[in-house]
Amino acid sequence: MGPARRSPPTAGAAGEEAAAVARRRQGMLLASPGALYLLIFFVVPLGLITVYSFATRTSTGRTALSGWNVESYRAIGDDIIVGIIGRSAWLATLTTVLCVVVGYPFAYYIATRPRHVRAVLLVLVMIPFWTNALVRVFAIRFLLGSNGPASALSESLGFGTFRILFTPTAVTIGMVYSFLTFMVLPLYVALERMDWSLTEAARDLYASGAKAFWKVTLPLTRSGIVAGCVLVFVPSFGSYVVPDILGGAKTLLIGSYIARQFRDARNWPLGAALSVLLIVAMLVAVALNQRSGSGAEDGGRPRGRRRGPGRGVAEPATAEAS
Amino acid sequence: MTEAVAAVEIEGVTKRFGEVVAVDDIDLAIGDGEFFALLGPSGCGKTTTLRMIAGLDLPTEGRLRIFGEEVGMAPPDRRPVNTVFQAYALFPHMTVRQNIEFGLRMRGIKGPELGRRVAEATGMVRLAGMEERRPDQLSGGQQQRVALARALVNQPKVLLLDEPLGALDLKLRQEMQQELKALQREVGITFVFVTHDQEEALAMSERIGVMSEGRLLQVGTPREIYDRPASRFVADFIGRTNILEASVESAGTVRLDSGALIDAEASTPEGSRVAVSLRPERVRLQPRGTAAAEGASLDGEVRDITYLGHAVVYEVAAGPVSVEVRVEGEVGEPFAAGDEVTVAWDRGAAAVVAD
Repeated sequence: MGPARRSPPTAGAAGEEAAAVARRRQGMLLASPGALYLLIFFVVPLGLITVYSFATRTSTGRTALSGWNVESYRAIGDDIIVGIIGRSAWLATLTTVLCVVVGYPFAYYIATRPRHVRAVLLVLVMIPFWTNALVRVFAIRFLLGSNGPASALSESLGFGTFRILFTPTAVTIGMVYSFLTFMVLPLYVALERMDWSLTEAARDLYASGAKAFWKVTLPLTRSGIVAGCVLVFVPSFGSYVVPDILGGAKTLLIGSYIARQFRDARNWPLGAALSVLLIVAMLVAVALNQRSGSGAEDGGRPRGRRRGPGRGVAEPATAEAS
Repeated sequence: MTEAVAAVEIEGVTKRFGEVVAVDDIDLAIGDGEFFALLGPSGCGKTTTLRMIAGLDLPTEGRLRIFGEEVGMAPPDRRPVNTVFQAYALFPHMTVRQNIEFGLRMRGIKGPELGRRVAEATGMVRLAGMEERRPDQLSGGQQQRVALARALVNQPKVLLLDEPLGALDLKLRQEMQQELKALQREVGITFVFVTHDQEEALAMSERIGVMSEGRLLQVGTPREIYDRPASRFVADFIGRTNILEASVESAGTVRLDSGALIDAEASTPEGSRVAVSLRPERVRLQPRGTAAAEGASLDGEVRDITYLGHAVVYEVAAGPVSVEVRVEGEVGEPFAAGDEVTVAWDRGAAAVVAD
């Protein structure tokens, strides 16, 4: 359809179409800096990683971009690597479950405070989040160390010194601490938009407080739970900083193992293949989250009435994992 | 109600939220099988009163009995009452059937009895065939029926309704008024409903309790409330009225502040300040000088005429006060602005209320 055709009956339609084109053009203009940035610093490196994962490692540890093969992917089946992946998955699962157990009551508490108290509590939740992650993890290392306050307290209470640093327990404690915010925020969003007259209705219909929670509150905040689990599980599965600082050599996880391939072991193809695996796992998790999110009720309020930050509240999730 | 035990008995109940007194020392008895309305402007404490009967709020002071049983401090799941919530509060993650079943299941009813009672309830509110839908697939009127069925299926001793028709448009609201009345007659359960809509309260209920600022001002039949308001607030809140400041002259006469002496029964002693409530539709407009011998009248001048289709409203200036006169069923407008007229009414049409 020609842009200049302005016969009276179609004038309105043509004008609308022109406006739509203009809107699209404007939208593209607004999005282009971000899109360009992501293209250069996300898509291109990702592509390179994928390419490297099919490359060959020479005997001197250099990477030859020739002789393409799937050897690195085959190596993932190696017992040691499977063990590392299994341990990482187990620790990530444990972290996620603990985050739900700790985070749900916490988010519930915040969401049921008066509005002005909520704002203050949320800022308090965010403060550690704005502090350097490395500093926080080293602080935990000091806290849990055999000369640290936790041990001193235990000794003064007559339980003797303890040594949990460089054990999976220390890693779990550190990971729960590091990722708790990612759990609390989506849970808070879900609970905050919860329509409490629904739990009152359940109580009115002979449900005990616990039953009302189980049958109404929990199902209606499911989207928040799922979102929180994805936001915690994905980065803790590939976590590198926390296990590296708190875990020591005995708790080798996939994140540290990948870093090792790129640095010490000089096996870039294997590191790249494992990275691709992690990314695929993450995409699957996010896709599952999207699907469950679109079918969720969001607290029982009619859809579209409220626009909160919604899912993906804790976007800076990549800060720690990198 | 003298012999039988009251369905709901509220005795000296007060509810405070921090410093705010939401309900201030009210006494109320609602009879078995009664259709009772709690009426008042928003924030008058009517919803809080209803929530205390439901157990969703607990009274700060006082006693509350349901069919003789003290329940003031019992949690909502231990009371033989069910509520139809203001915005229905249907569980969005459940189907219509699951919503209706909820209360029965919580009380451990299952199998054939569950099915039978759910079918009965859905039939009663004409929802058969909609059982597998979700609340967001229903219209407002249908949602309201689900809410009713979900409560009534439990066969509560008292059904509480919080602004049950507030979310519906006018036409549907009028239909539902009739349906609710019919339903109440059918099931014979005591209905207590909260509304701020005085017409709704007058049209639906057997008795009305008028509330304002946490206090229960008057309890009576719609006719008593409308014709014999107990206070200036009630007279003003229910329907339209002309409030004329006055003082009691003698047992049978009241002197308006404008100077006119009118015949009206006052219950307060001579000299006390009162207000005279004159309903616009209970007064007549006559040409000056033709006042009827019986009753009372005020002379004035037509200021303004408003045509409403089914009625004509005249604003008459009678000295310093302005009186609204509503004339229905008259063809044409016999009076024009500026006409000298007399506002007349039968003895008994004016209600004298204490200040």
